[in-house]
Amino acid sequence: MMLLARMLAGPGNLHAVERFVLLALGILSVALFLHQATAIARRILAARRDANFTLAPLAPRCARLFFDVLLQRKVIRERPWVGLAHAFVFWAFCAFALVTLNHLALALHAEFLDPRGAGRVLFFLAALFAVACLVAIAGLTLRRFVLRPRWLGAQPSIGSAGVAFLIAALMVTYLAAFYVAEGSAAAHAIWWLHTLALLAFLPLIPRTKHLHLLLAPLSVFLAHPRFASIPPLAGEEDFGLVTGKDLTRMAALQAYTCVECGRCMEHCPATNTGKDLNPKELVLGVRGYLNHLGPHSEEPLVGQVHPLHAIFECTTCGACQHQCPVAVEHLPLIVGLRRGVVNTGEWQHKQGTRLFLNLERTGNPLGRPHSERERFIERAGLPFFDGSQELCLWLGCMGSYDPRGHQIVTALAAVLRAHGITFGVLRKEQCTGDAARRLGNDLLFQQLAEANLATLAQAGVRRMVSICPHCVQTIAQDWREFGPSPTIEHHTELLARLGTAGLGATTEEKIVYHDPCYLARYRGVMDEPRAVIARSGHLLEPARTRKDSFCCGAGGGLFFLGEESGERIGMNRARELAATGATQVAAACPFCANMLGDALKTMDGIAPQLVDVAELAARQIKP
Amino acid sequence: MKIVVAIRQVPEREARLRVNAAGNAIEEEGLQFATNEPDAYALEHALALRAAEGGEVIALSVGPERTANALRDALARGADRAIHVLAGELDALGVARVLAAIVRQENADLLLAGLQSEDMGYGQTPVLAAGLLGVPHTTLALEITPAEHGLRVFRELEDGWRQSVDLPLPAVVAVQAGGLALSYATLMGIKRARTKELRTLAVEDLGLALEPALIVESLAPPARTKSTEMLQGEPEQVAAALIRKLRDEAHVL
Repeated sequence: MMLLARMLAGPGNLHAVERFVLLALGILSVALFLHQATAIARRILAARRDANFTLAPLAPRCARLFFDVLLQRKVIRERPWVGLAHAFVFWAFCAFALVTLNHLALALHAEFLDPRGAGRVLFFLAALFAVACLVAIAGLTLRRFVLRPRWLGAQPSIGSAGVAFLIAALMVTYLAAFYVAEGSAAAHAIWWLHTLALLAFLPLIPRTKHLHLLLAPLSVFLAHPRFASIPPLAGEEDFGLVTGKDLTRMAALQAYTCVECGRCMEHCPATNTGKDLNPKELVLGVRGYLNHLGPHSEEPLVGQVHPLHAIFECTTCGACQHQCPVAVEHLPLIVGLRRGVVNTGEWQHKQGTRLFLNLERTGNPLGRPHSERERFIERAGLPFFDGSQELCLWLGCMGSYDPRGHQIVTALAAVLRAHGITFGVLRKEQCTGDAARRLGNDLLFQQLAEANLATLAQAGVRRMVSICPHCVQTIAQDWREFGPSPTIEHHTELLARLGTAGLGATTEEKIVYHDPCYLARYRGVMDEPRAVIARSGHLLEPARTRKDSFCCGAGGGLFFLGEESGERIGMNRARELAATGATQVAAACPFCANMLGDALKTMDGIAPQLVDVAELAARQIKP
Repeated sequence: MKIVVAIRQVPEREARLRVNAAGNAIEEEGLQFATNEPDAYALEHALALRAAEGGEVIALSVGPERTANALRDALARGADRAIHVLAGELDALGVARVLAAIVRQENADLLLAGLQSEDMGYGQTPVLAAGLLGVPHTTLALEITPAEHGLRVFRELEDGWRQSVDLPLPAVVAVQAGGLALSYATLMGIKRARTKELRTLAVEDLGLALEPALIVESLAPPARTKSTEMLQGEPEQVAAALIRKLRDEAHVL
């Protein structure tokens, strides 16, 4: 600890000419900074106000600021070594705040930190961070310019190199001042070098992605408190994100905050299976639009910010948004762009149009006649809900019309009966509007939500359970726009509560659980299905699990849009699940069951069998 | 090109139909209605012709008050304006006389309609209207394109045969479902539709006095007969009997 014995050396007196040069350079640096920063601030503030924005509740916002900014939770969790290196650079910046002010004050003999007294502790602390920061910068530079992971883009950024060099220069000059005598020529020179590095750094901030130093705390603090919330349309002329005029301040702020780390790309199921959707390029597309065309432009957004077909490759799994360390909300953006082209009729897609017409005409995405649903209800012996039962079992479209969904509903009904829980199904159900909602068809979504809400109110339903996480999310969250809906939970939540009484012994099956996006990321339900699975076998975890789960490829209406380009997302996931050596794959969503079930069937060798958590629970019932 | 599209509102496909107390019509109480599907295709053809040729698309419906919903839907999907002729249940000739009167009044170049309605299924209305107007017509249209002196229409015949017909304007074309893709309803369409004109007329306003040419005396649901016949005997005999029945009784071979 040689540093501990040393003292930070000041520059001594500055000549009048030096002070003049300092003043001139200082003004130039601040002016350049302000010129850039105010232009960006103006563009953000000129964007449309966010319709549903409220600062309350403040507590979760403050908590997010504390964990995600101060403690760098998301930065570290996702990439531990790189994240920690970044955290040390960040913490060093924080530690240097007062030190830097004091450094500049020295020029006027107005220093307020005494290197012999109280200031010494701070200087020493800053020095420790400076060392850590230098090590971190060296590591990060190595990664960015030598290892070059593809998430960071094909071209190494010159701006990044400049900033890395300046940060290193700041740290080196700071540490060097401990090894020279107070007021010496060397100390004088070192002071100037440090000052010049500072003055060069300032105008670089708004010009590069280091703008996140200023905007990330704002963006993290202001982000919508609920995950993947789709804002209501504001007024008669709002059809979603059609032109620049529809971009909101939050969207603009987030576009400028993006630090281009590529975590969104690293987790995007579309990007990872050779499709054209790239969540990072999408956000940078919005930034480019604002820079070149501005927030008042009437140019269509789609095409400018991202290609039309790519926007419809999103499964709305939410991995991008979940991983983003600076709280960029990709989902409202993607759904907003879809709204813009669907609400205006611009989007022409064979299967997409078929889906919408099916929903318009039959109320279900598959276009099946209601009589098929009635036949299933009769065959499965499901009672109709008449108000006397505890629960209404919401079948959903998959539970009503899909053979796989039928099996899951039948299994769930058997478990409910075995536990003496009374339930009934509705005589008439329409699609919740999940696919219409995520594909941006607000008219259809509203019609379906309102029709269903009326049916439920008429039937006097208070509590519901569903086999489909998409139904649960849409009913519990998206329907709120149109009035209160009965409480609904996913069947795994109910099954977990039922306990183990009356259950048979566990088996030797090795069961790997696949977290459905809409259950884990959207609803935070992760322990309940695991508790149910653990009753019937050994639970295994795939590499990407819980909130880091990888999509099956069905969400966002894509189940109905026909063949994917590139590798099938479900195949990618099925391979990962099979690689755990499991004998069974447990899913908790009828869409996942279809996608993964199909993928597993096409795999070579003996693939694990796909089961729903309800089917595992049903097998546990003693005859 | 000024195009009138005749649109009929029919009971929704999933609806459970009941006969009314008088026993001569469908009970409308509690029924949900939708646009007759071939008419939806007729509207789509009209919009495509307007996109190619310019002009105006007028949605026209003859029926009770509820029919206005079908017209609002047509406006939302792109029709420029709508005319609703208030009337009770009319027969094919009655509807055709109203259609002809409006086409004359509007001096339209083309009357498009679905081939037949999904409820009554007369399949006569557009043909009768052409007769009343004294203009050429064609039916079973799958494709309609502008031609040098009018329209070129591809008709769908039996067994995959197609026939091309050229006809001068003014004309009447009855459209078969499935020739082109229907478009979905959009939020913008619905909002724009609110500002479009929907004119309501009475039959008398057209100077027509309609006497029914056809009277429905009684209407009954088809009797449900479930006749399962077990064929007995040796496999060869059963197969031969099955083929005979499929060919001679079920007419599917």
